[in-house]
Amino acid sequence: MDILMNIVKVVTRYWNLLLQGTANTLLLSAITVLVGIVIGSLLALMRLSNFHIGHFRPLNAIATIYTEVIRDTPLLLQLYFFYFLVPMMFPGIDMGKTFSVVLALCLNSGAYVAEIIRAGISAVDKGQTEAARSLGLNYRQTLTKVIFPQAVKNILPALCNEFVSVVKESSLASTFFVGELMTQYKTINGVIYLAIEPLIIVGIIYFILGFSLSKCVAALERRMSTSD
Amino acid sequence: MTNLIEVKDLHKSFGELQVLKGVSEHISKGEVVSIIGPSGGGKSTLLRCLNLLEVPTSGQIIFEGVDITAKGVNVDKHRQKMGMVFQHFNVFPHMTVGENITMAPTLLGKKSKAEAEDMAKELLNTVGLYEKINEYPGRLSGGQKQRLAIVRALAMEPDVMLFDEPTSALDPEMVGEVLAVIKNLVKGGMTTVIVTHEMGFAREVSDRVFFMDGGVLAEKGSPEELFGNPQNPRTKEFLGKVLY
Repeated sequence: MDILMNIVKVVTRYWNLLLQGTANTLLLSAITVLVGIVIGSLLALMRLSNFHIGHFRPLNAIATIYTEVIRDTPLLLQLYFFYFLVPMMFPGIDMGKTFSVVLALCLNSGAYVAEIIRAGISAVDKGQTEAARSLGLNYRQTLTKVIFPQAVKNILPALCNEFVSVVKESSLASTFFVGELMTQYKTINGVIYLAIEPLIIVGIIYFILGFSLSKCVAALERRMSTSD
Repeated sequence: MTNLIEVKDLHKSFGELQVLKGVSEHISKGEVVSIIGPSGGGKSTLLRCLNLLEVPTSGQIIFEGVDITAKGVNVDKHRQKMGMVFQHFNVFPHMTVGENITMAPTLLGKKSKAEAEDMAKELLNTVGLYEKINEYPGRLSGGQKQRLAIVRALAMEPDVMLFDEPTSALDPEMVGEVLAVIKNLVKGGMTTVIVTHEMGFAREVSDRVFFMDGGVLAEKGSPEELFGNPQNPRTKEFLGKVLY
């Protein structure tokens, strides 16, 4: 019963911190995914480009290496990396630690979004490309008129899923106290010396965010598949 | 008769696998050619090489006097004159039936939007799909999709139509409606190359039939010759299995 009492105590005393943390988490995740979409689209275009020197396709190679490095190293490591790298790159200018963290999150998400877009495009039946080309459309026209409009249906729900996972993964940013939900947990924990209770509350908030967003994605997927 | 398509010593390999082992042939304007033969014999690959959906390993395709396999040739331009119909229809699911037809001619500057729409209505009328013009292909049957795919190709006003097993993916009761459309087209004088397993149809509509096996044109001749009195033992064996 003590736990229950303590939970009520934490919520009544620190609800504004929790609310602020939730808002920050959502804001941070939204920025991450939006910038991630820009980066991811650029990477996807680089991978689709036909530009080559001999058999070597430099744009394709750069995008592939970037995506692999980001996806095969831990996000926490990347956060540390940019936390130390950014001040070294801009000596004398105080960019603030939040900037470093946001930058790392965006660059990380960009790689995943690139992969989502690539998968969405390659999931479009190869026969669609052949039909378009056989009518005389060139590569670019085929992409813009036939492939992309169909790929969007695969990409949109997956992007929303990416948002859901960023909401959860952004908790790692609390390592640098940037004010999102997990940071608020650490703050509350530090003030009242309760570990489990605030964790339960924060966990419930994450769950509600994740669960409701996932349900929205599922509904979106259903609508996408019926509008064929 | 003038040559519309000339194929010179065509080879195609996929990695180690040699699919076409030297095919030379010509197809005249107005001619109807059926390509028959066992699976894996190279029929579809040959057809797909004609409009360079498959790039030949060596050899030449000369279409309307132009070597389209030469470097620097704008293949897209020539493909506009070669309509193609696929086994799996490949209609565009995100466009209405009407848009499927008007997209290419308007995008490629062949027709104004109004002209293309008029033509789409006319074409859909000829294949009995006029009332479907605003539907999406998801609501069409296989036979209807294939009829749409045929008129989509015709909307580019091609000089030749290539059919790659156009009825193989259809339910049996829908084969007839698609063959009827092709037959009409042939009657109108369209140069046609068709890869098919419909032997009766091939015999009925073709000027010449090619029997393809092992990557070469093992036998060719008029339908009467090829079906009535095949010379090559492989042709005899194949026809013996499929005609009963």
